[in-house]
Amino acid sequence: MTAFLQALASGLALGAIYGLIALGFNITYATTKTFNFGQGAFLVPGSLVGVSLLLLAVGKPHFGNLTQAEMTMTAYVLATIASVVVVGAIGIALYYCAIKPFVGAGGLNWVLSTIGFGIIMQNTALAIWGPASIAVPSPLGSEVWRIAGAGIRPQEVLIAVVAVAVMVGLDIVLRKTRFGKALRAVAFNPQAAAIVGINVETIVILAFVISSALAGLAGILIAPITTASVFIGLGIALKAFSAAIVGGLTSPRGCMLGGFLLGVVEALVGLWRAEMREITIFLLIIIVLVVRPSGLMGARSVEKI
Amino acid sequence: MTMLAIEGLKVRYGAVEALKGISLQVGQGEVVTLIGGNGAGKSTLMRAIGGLVKIANGTIRFEGDDITGIRGHDCVRLGIGHSPEGRLVFGDQSVRDNLVLGAYARRDEDGIARDIERYFGVFPRLSERQDQLAGTLSGGEQQMLAIARALMARPKLLLLDEPSLGLAPLIVREVFSVIRRLREEGMTILLVEQMANQALAIADRAYVIETGTITLEGTGAELLRDERVRSAYLGA
Repeated sequence: MTAFLQALASGLALGAIYGLIALGFNITYATTKTFNFGQGAFLVPGSLVGVSLLLLAVGKPHFGNLTQAEMTMTAYVLATIASVVVVGAIGIALYYCAIKPFVGAGGLNWVLSTIGFGIIMQNTALAIWGPASIAVPSPLGSEVWRIAGAGIRPQEVLIAVVAVAVMVGLDIVLRKTRFGKALRAVAFNPQAAAIVGINVETIVILAFVISSALAGLAGILIAPITTASVFIGLGIALKAFSAAIVGGLTSPRGCMLGGFLLGVVEALVGLWRAEMREITIFLLIIIVLVVRPSGLMGARSVEKI
Repeated sequence: MTMLAIEGLKVRYGAVEALKGISLQVGQGEVVTLIGGNGAGKSTLMRAIGGLVKIANGTIRFEGDDITGIRGHDCVRLGIGHSPEGRLVFGDQSVRDNLVLGAYARRDEDGIARDIERYFGVFPRLSERQDQLAGTLSGGEQQMLAIARALMARPKLLLLDEPSLGLAPLIVREVFSVIRRLREEGMTILLVEQMANQALAIADRAYVIETGTITLEGTGAELLRDERVRSAYLGA
């Protein structure tokens, strides 16, 4: 039972990470019918930029290791803000380099251009930080919390709380604010959005900024669990992509649900047999897609060919 | 006073010349209608005025200023409201939010709230369904919403593109009574219609457009009597 609770907690934390990234896929897909296939690489600066700034602040080289004492909650919050801002800004470059030249032109050039952009970014990070991984202490310490007998890592709780807060916040923004209504208007019909005075390109750029910032946030949130390194992104982004497809790429809530679902299934199956994890997940994905081709909460529409 | 003046307007879609040098004027307070068959270029002209298609040649002047090539989202800020062909209401948002979005270019929250109530008064059906998703409305209701959404921008010129398209005769009559009411309130309107009879009856002046060219112009009453118009568009 305690093992089950422990696995459930890590599953929810991991699922929250998938959900955040999946939400980023949803926002750009809704507005442009494209998304960043290289999103995994965006977790890399997310995990490294903030941490390196903290290292520099305490007079260490930017690829060193932080001690627990140096990782206060204030330091972590500042690092998170730095990562989110920097990766969000990279989203603007992503739009101009890899999306704008191809969007609306049909074809799949954007798939390769976003993958390429990600590879360029990852290798740039490799040149800056090297291949070694950086241990990142959690601001809540490394001692496990005992909850109902189960040992739960405090960082997992932090991840889940922050991710859920961000998801709920974004959900409210999309439904209630002027920006959110404009973004949904662009998603529904860009021409109609322009007619009422919405600058469609501005909204699309902001969608890519949000999407990238979410990946950056995921990177710094997960760093204390996985360590920060140039190689953390790909596996996570692939699962997040699967989460978006399973939950429904067209539905923000579906993407979040898909994230949690995949995270929990992965952790619980891992409890039983680790090697069955990926097999189960991808079998599950295929089954879901056969039964519900547009995902659990996706709009059941047929794409015109 | 001339509100909208178009000179030698050409629009190309690839190799196809959709508009082959259109010239027309709309005076302040006038209702001008544009009639013509399918593919004549009516909607292309509306989209060109609304900044939604690239203009190959010619000029568009609005209140004396050259606005040729202006981007769609800036058009509405100048005072051009657009109820597009196919209505294009935001189907996954509420009726009220569609109106809020119609006022996207405005920042006067109080005025926006007052205008929403005003148009709920003009269109009681929209008021009844204000919390419903626009996509669940009937065609006629969506058309009313598209017009109300365009009016929310407080336009000086209203572009109405095929407002009767696909609607039952009874609903068409309702749409035209709304247009008549707007006209009485002094709104300047450029109306594109396939229902030539009703459109000519309501219009101060009218143009006939065929394969990208204006072939006839005159007052609504003149064109209603014109033999060529009667045989081609009025089924007489």
